[in-house]
Amino acid sequence: MVRDAAPTPPGTQQDLPLEETVPPDEAPGSPIEAAPGRFEASIRRKSWPVAAPAERLWFCAWLPNLPLESVDDRGGGPMAIVAEQHGIHRVVMADAAAQAAGIMAGQSANAALALLPTLQLTERSVLREEQTLERLASLLERFSSFVCIAAHDVLLLELAGSLRLFGGLRRLRTEIVESMRLLGFSVMPAIAPTPLGATWLARSGRCSCIRETGNLVTTLRKLSLASLDWPASLLAELAGMGVTTVGDCLRLPREGFVRRFGAERLLELDRALGHLPDPRNSWRAPERFSADHEMTEEQADRSVLLNICRELLLSQERFLLARQLGIQRLCFSFFHLKGAATELRLGGARAERSAAHWFGLLGIRFEQLQLPEAVIAVRLQSGLAQPLRTESDNLNFTGTPGAQQRRFSITQLAERLVARVGEQSVHAMMMVADHRPHYAWRAQSILADWAGSTLPDERWRIQRPLWMLPEPAELPLDSGYPLHQGCRLRLLDGPERLETGWWDEDGISRDYYTAINPAGMRLWIFRNRQRPTTWYLHGYFG
Amino acid sequence: MSASLDKLLENPRVWRGRNAIQQKTGLASGYPELDRHLPGGGWPQQALIEILTEQYGIGELRLLMPALARLCAEDPQSEQAEPGWIAWIAPPFQPYPPALRQCGIDLSRMLIVRPKDAGDVLWSTEQALSSGTCAAVLFWPEKLDDQASRRLQLAAEKGSSWAVAFRPLAARQQPSAAALRLELHGTGEGTRVHVIKSRGGHPAVLNNLL
Repeated sequence: MVRDAAPTPPGTQQDLPLEETVPPDEAPGSPIEAAPGRFEASIRRKSWPVAAPAERLWFCAWLPNLPLESVDDRGGGPMAIVAEQHGIHRVVMADAAAQAAGIMAGQSANAALALLPTLQLTERSVLREEQTLERLASLLERFSSFVCIAAHDVLLLELAGSLRLFGGLRRLRTEIVESMRLLGFSVMPAIAPTPLGATWLARSGRCSCIRETGNLVTTLRKLSLASLDWPASLLAELAGMGVTTVGDCLRLPREGFVRRFGAERLLELDRALGHLPDPRNSWRAPERFSADHEMTEEQADRSVLLNICRELLLSQERFLLARQLGIQRLCFSFFHLKGAATELRLGGARAERSAAHWFGLLGIRFEQLQLPEAVIAVRLQSGLAQPLRTESDNLNFTGTPGAQQRRFSITQLAERLVARVGEQSVHAMMMVADHRPHYAWRAQSILADWAGSTLPDERWRIQRPLWMLPEPAELPLDSGYPLHQGCRLRLLDGPERLETGWWDEDGISRDYYTAINPAGMRLWIFRNRQRPTTWYLHGYFG
Repeated sequence: MSASLDKLLENPRVWRGRNAIQQKTGLASGYPELDRHLPGGGWPQQALIEILTEQYGIGELRLLMPALARLCAEDPQSEQAEPGWIAWIAPPFQPYPPALRQCGIDLSRMLIVRPKDAGDVLWSTEQALSSGTCAAVLFWPEKLDDQASRRLQLAAEKGSSWAVAFRPLAARQQPSAAALRLELHGTGEGTRVHVIKSRGGHPAVLNNLL
């Protein structure tokens, strides 16, 4: 019936043996047994398999407005989320107030602002959404021991084990939805015996609650394919064949379906209907290490304290080693009998677990630490544990002395320097495309990931000075001529006119010259064109 | 000649008269006239050198730039996996990246450290030198006594790095373990470089080098 109307791709006409199609109503009674776990074998089965009884119950929470709701400080006014598409910022999602003013997804940011000047535009951030979802997942861990982040906007909970504790499915569902709603998240809930089934039902927007696998099959058959999160091109192709619901899909022969749309889609259908197991990874809140060391009497001896810290670091190392994790930050607290605890924070460029590494950093900082009085207890709290990224080293056959002498990498050196002199005092540099001399470069933290300068290597006609003063220094004048160290300057080169930056507050209009004083010092000086009588020193040709 | 005798003769402290074989052990400075006056035909490597000057803008950095550019450039011949970094510790002004780039320096290998007190300057310098990561460490110490200079000289040898101290002219009177000490004087015609100490070499005066 459907098949006759369907436009078939050329060359596949013979691949559709009509007799292979089994009417859907006969499928449950089909004698062919389901072979759980043997998906490859099951493709060649002629009919769709029989449903197995439900043992698990999945709650799916779909958060359709997550991009909007993950923004923490919503000003109260109308707001829209924008994202860059092909160089243009377009509205991805707008809240109710903005929608009332006619703002829709797909509009450019400028068009939206023209419609509603008070509109608050926020850049979409996938990271922010992920973090929000993780926060929600840790909140939902109270309802089930099995919480899973299934997609970028879908949370799944296994409920079969929690029903008795929370007094039934109805109450549990209300409680979960209510707890998320209180935090300001709009949720589309659905309950089904399979995780994918629950997800599809939630995405369809119907608040279904299905406990029996048989009912699930019946309900899913009626479900439109639009709620399946399949790519639009695939949906269009299926719609062209007259297939618009899950039930229509199930009417197609399995082997032909795999050939046309891939085994992945058939696997999804089988899993949603509960014919094949659908294993999921449980989400766990990241772990932290925390340990205390209490002493029977106050201790002021710093070497004893350092030893205690080493013990704590070693037990942290064991904790991290067992989990193959590392930490980037940690905090020691030294408690006194009176007064607030003294804190010492350490941080590194990347996750580390070795006690020796942290002890090395601690040694640098501990020297400078002022302890107001004797210490009665020490606490070590680690930051969030992260998967450890280990670095591969060169296989060194020759044993060249140069390779051996490399004691630590630049990040390790930077970590040590930062621990002693502070993060602001250690930096790398990169160039910025700007003609204004003081904006042509930027300090860059060495501990962050960075790829160095990406500017093309252009050749300037005019030499720049190697030394730059932090602020231009005004030069004294002698009857209109600039003086340096009490002597008149001789101009060697110039002027180079830099007149730019009018678009922001810090526009300049200057004539730069290279000058030399009688002592042979070469200077980079400029005259402000707005006030032609004042001269400034901006750098030295070191 | 036996290998150990060869090694002994290679030592720049052994004076072999006028027809000594010039060993190219130094790092070419990029100024041939200066190279001629330096033992080993260039800057002494894995050593501490001192540049004494009180003026800025007389070429005190330009003197080092060709050697620094070579140190931080990728060298396919070298056994080192990657070129070294150049650390600037307590520079008096901001080293200006566009100018460094004009001198052929790889900007992604610059590390600027500005410690708050004099002790930290020496500590940071020693760390950078002995790390084995920095090919060169330029530093501006407030004071550098004989003992500290000896320590830094050892750190430079340990990390096979090159230490360059910038000090005022008054430091000329103080003893130092540096392998090379230069005085720079700006004159109207050009900069005069005065080699006042050179391990294995001779004092010399070079006019209008820069």
